[in-house]
This record gives sequence, C-alpha cells and structure tokens, in this order.
Amino acid sequence: MASTVFRSLQSFPFCLHPTTLFRRKNGIFYCTIKGKHSQTATQEKQTSNVKVSSHPAIKTLDKILKDYEAIIGIETHVQLSTLTKAFCNCPYNYGSPPNTSVCPVCMGLPGALPVLNSKVIDSAIKVGLALNCKLSLNSKFDRKQYFYPDLPKGYQISQFDIPIATGGFIDLDLPVEFGGGHRRFGITRVHMEEDAGKLLHSDSGSYSQVDLNRAGVPLLEIVSEPDMRNGIEAAEYAAELQRLVRYLGVGNGNMQEGSLRCDVNISIRPIGQSQFGTKVEIKNLNSFSSVSRAIDFEISRQVQLHSQGQGDQIVQETRLWEEGAQKTVTMRKKEGLADYRYFPEPDLPGVILTDEYVKDIHNSLPELPEIKRRRYEKMGLSMQDVLFLANDINVAKYFDATIAKGADVKLAANWIMGDIAAYMKNEKLTIDEIKLTPQELAELIASIKAGTISGKIGKEILFELLAKGGTVKGIIEEKDLVQIIDPAEIEKMVDKVLLDNPKQLEQYRGGKTKLQGYFAGQVMKASKGKANPGLLNKILLEKLNAKSS
Amino acid sequence: MGGRALILVKGLPLPKHHIFTDFSCNSSSAKLLRLRRNNNSWGRRNFSTWATNGSSLEPPDVPRLAETARISLAPHEVEEFAPKIRQVIDWFGQLQAVDLQSVEPAIRADTQGDNFRDDVPETFENREAIIAAVPNYEEPYVKVPKILNKE
Repeated sequence: MASTVFRSLQSFPFCLHPTTLFRRKNGIFYCTIKGKHSQTATQEKQTSNVKVSSHPAIKTLDKILKDYEAIIGIETHVQLSTLTKAFCNCPYNYGSPPNTSVCPVCMGLPGALPVLNSKVIDSAIKVGLALNCKLSLNSKFDRKQYFYPDLPKGYQISQFDIPIATGGFIDLDLPVEFGGGHRRFGITRVHMEEDAGKLLHSDSGSYSQVDLNRAGVPLLEIVSEPDMRNGIEAAEYAAELQRLVRYLGVGNGNMQEGSLRCDVNISIRPIGQSQFGTKVEIKNLNSFSSVSRAIDFEISRQVQLHSQGQGDQIVQETRLWEEGAQKTVTMRKKEGLADYRYFPEPDLPGVILTDEYVKDIHNSLPELPEIKRRRYEKMGLSMQDVLFLANDINVAKYFDATIAKGADVKLAANWIMGDIAAYMKNEKLTIDEIKLTPQELAELIASIKAGTISGKIGKEILFELLAKGGTVKGIIEEKDLVQIIDPAEIEKMVDKVLLDNPKQLEQYRGGKTKLQGYFAGQVMKASKGKANPGLLNKILLEKLNAKSS
Repeated sequence: MGGRALILVKGLPLPKHHIFTDFSCNSSSAKLLRLRRNNNSWGRRNFSTWATNGSSLEPPDVPRLAETARISLAPHEVEEFAPKIRQVIDWFGQLQAVDLQSVEPAIRADTQGDNFRDDVPETFENREAIIAAVPNYEEPYVKVPKILNKE
C-alpha cells in the first residue's frame, strides 16, 4: 500500500451538488516502495480538480468553518500476519478459495475449544510497547454476543474491561507539503480479538454469501484518543500505524485487502465550547486518502448543518464513505447502545504475562519509525528526505546498510530517492528486488567522490547495476570507465580537438567565447565521457586563451 | 447448542449438577441454558462493588432474554421458564451475599495461564463433514438470508 498523502482543503457540500465543490490542490505524493505483500507501487488516482471561484457563498462557509473545530478519534483493526488463526490451527492466507480454511473451532461447532496462538500475545505486546502503553500483565478474553451471519459462534472472542494495553501515545511528523509539524496522539487502548467471516451481498439474489476463511483470524483493535482535528492528521495517524505494524513485522497493514481497517468517529463543536457535539461514525475507508477526504467532507456537512441551525439533524449514526460519489451516506442509525452482554470467555484461561517475558520482547523491538526519523534528522537530512526514507522499512534498511558501508549520508539519500526510486517505479520493483546491493551503492558513491569515475559515468553504472547486478569495480574495469585524470592525456585530446576544428577556434578567438562549451563537449566525446571535467575545462581554457594572447 | 452450553457452564463456579439434573438432555434444556447465558446481570462486571450491591437480583425479563437469544417463545413457555430462570438467578443471589470485602478481586477462577499453542498451521482433515452440515451451502459459499443494515 502506498502511503499517499493528500492535501485536502476544506471541502463542503453546497446546495444539492456537494461533490462539485470539492476543491483540492494537487497533492504531493510519496511514491512509496511497497512491502513484500504487494507488487506494484501505486499512486492514488487523483480526483479531478474542480476549480472553485471565490463565490461569495463559499467564502462565507469558509469563514464559518473557522469557527468550529472537529474532534476525531479512530478505531483501527490490524490483522496480524500469523500463520494460523487466533484460536485454532487453521492456516490463513488471503485470497484462498472460500471456506477452505475452516475447522470445528472457527466454525463454532459444539464441543470445540479454542486455544490461543502464542504469536497473538507476542504481537499484542509488541504493538502495546511500541505505542508506549501500559500493559496488563493479567488480562483475559471476553465474549461479545451478537447475531450476524459472518459470526458462526454467535459471539466474538474479544477483550472488554481489561484490554492488554492502555494509555499510550504515538508520535508522527506531518508531511512537509501540509506545513509539516510534529504531532502526538493518545492511544486509549489496544486489545486482542478475532475477525469475523466475509459477507458478500449478491446484487441480484435475495441472499448473501459467507466465506468463513477469515473467521477467527487474529486482530488487534487500536483505539485512539479523540486527538485529531482534521483529515490530514487522521490519515497520517493511520499511515503511522501502518508503518508501525510493518516495522514490527506483526501485520502487512494492507488497506485494500482489509488488513488495516479504520473506523472514524467525528463530531464538531463551536470553538470555545467544551462539550462535545454528536458523534458520527464513518466506515468503509479503504485508503489513507479516503480517510482524509471522508473526514473533511463530514466536517463540512456537520458544520453546515450546525451553522444553519439544523444541528439537531446531526444524529448518532454510522455513515458509509462512498468513494465514487465522494460523500458519506447514512448506513444505520444507532438506537441506544448495542447490548453485547459481555462476559468472561469461559473456554480460555486468563492471559498472564511475566515481567521477564515482556522485557524480552521489549529488548527485541526494532528501531521504530519515530526513533528512526529523529536519528535521520540528526544526521542532517531534510525532513522531506527523512520522511521518504523512514516511510518504508525496507527502504530504511537499505539506506541504513548503505551508510553503514561508509557512504556519504546525503549522497546516499539522493541516489535512493532519485534514480533508484524512479527505476523501481518504472520497473514495478520493490527495493528488495533490485540487483544493486547497498554495498555497491556505497562503492559507487565513494568512486565518484574519489574521482575514479565521473558523476555521469556513475549514473550509467548505476542503471547497469540495478538491472544486472555485479560490482562497481567489475563494470569500471570491464568497460574501461576509469576517469582520465592524467593532464597529459587530456592535453593530447584537447590538442587534437583544436586541430580538427580550426574554423571554430578562429571564431572563438575572434570573441565568440561561448564556443568553449562546444570544445569541451568534443573533448568529452573523444574521451568517451571519461575525462575529468574540471581538468578538461582547465586545460581547454588554457589552450584556447594561450595562443590568442 | 446443548454442547456449547455445556462448555459454557463448565468453567463457571456454579452448582452445575443442579442445572443438569434439573433439565438435562431435552430440547428445552438447551434453550434454557442459552437464556441463562444471556442474562445481563453477569455481563458487566464491576468487581469492586460486586459485594456491596446487596443480594437481590432483578427478576428475569424472559421475553427480552428470548429476543436477545433469537428464540421465539409462546406465552405459556414464557410462563413456564420464568420461575426456572429465576431459580438460577437466585443462586447468584446467594453468591452475592458472600462478604468479599477482604478478598482481592480475581480476573479468572483458573489462573494457571500459559495455555498457548505454537503458530503452526494444520489443515483440518474432515472439512467435507463440516461443509455437509451447513444448512444452506452453495459452492463455494455458505448461503444466508440477505442481511443489510440490520442490528
């Protein structure tokens, strides 16, 4: 999943055609290098820009928007990438033929007993620690009762009053294009639970279809504090969670496959009011950009209702984001709190952790995105570079390996973000799939810095290494690409070029000094690009001017 | 359902033999156990005030219990079950009477813990039997009534 960051200005419904008024500036995108679970680096398709003139009514609404603040909290479900389900040994692979990975436990057959997968606990502790939470050393599972066809048992095994982790926070940096800035958002709780099956609604028929492969797959539910104020902050929060689970290796965080699902709670209130407004939940957010856009749409919708004295029309409900229409629509109204009749799961023992166990996991945690970003920042990289490199753990690893081989930090960043990223994008490759090793990239950078090869030749070697592999030294030798730094040799070439171009030489000496570039080009060509440009120009200039004086 | 109810009761500190000797092995026992399971009074725990709440529990609202369990009951069945469920609830009433002021709240009765398994996949070999037992199956999906925007 590419982490796509959108700039979305306040957009709002207006009259009967809300979508026509969506204004967005061209987003600046991270062309992210994808993890191993997806094949191509995609960029979000941009919705067409609908230009909005400074219509007076819009100006008024813009002004009204400034009088309100939005309170946004996010509930995120992270699917854990365990080999088996949470409470049975059924293997889980996304995309398996429907209803092939089932057993009496996940089908809820009488007499079948769940046994917890130890990897689920491991992952929960990792995420809890990474989110700076307090862990419950003594927690348990509870049953959440509800009837739905995707839930064979009639209840979901979840955690209710004693979640495994509580009271943490997450740090992130907003993209430079959106003004940048550091944010810390509170984490209310993290708990373990099982996923339900997948329900498919046939368009034509009067029935629905259920695939129970996903039933019983382990999830972590991560609940944020209502700390976000706009769509960008919310989208970046979700992107940071994705980064975190990928860094930790506990999940693939793929939103399209539903491995990372965000439900957003949003309310608005006039600035200065301490009481919260009525909360609306938005579901069906399949990308970071839809998180951002759905929120900005919803803020505008609610602010407009509120400012027109129709605040009572904002009701507690679940709304669906419609990607096509770019708006939210009512899915269901909430009539009071659902009664899930939670009670402790009698089929599972309590979850008891020792300090030692937690400490071991703590010590095994990798460098997390926030710490990596601060480290890169201290190396002197710009925030733009920092965010790019730390966005994808595989890119960060590649960068770290390159500089560990002694490569110049800024040069390494430039090569990775420039030609290498462009190559990966064109060839639809991940950084793990290119043939250029960090070792050779460091070698290439060192060779250019030492003057062994020119920057231009360096680029040629880079593309050769990217496509075919090999070593910098090997290619330099094989193709005889060592930069010519012997002044005598360059002098010979200069002399020959001057001799071969008497007409141009005459013109130059007659005052057409711009021809220096022509001569430099001819000499470089004669050297097959290998002449050291500094030396070449110095010698050329001496020769050109020597005879004229 | 009876099997599931048995599992459910197994882990509870209840005088379980009473339940089974009273209404064992007939269809109404499954129903009854399920109703009891859904009783709201022990859904939300609050152990710190558990003992101080007093000892009487609310009488069961059988029609509501039946609804939450998706069971249809005829009026005479409601009448028949009400006292029986009441009896079960009264057992909890007795438990409520125990003075727990000086007792540390426990999360679970069994706290041996560490009952985990390794993350090693194993395919269940009798999948055909499971699929064959699905009431309405249309390869490769389980077929269910269309449910949209409910609950």
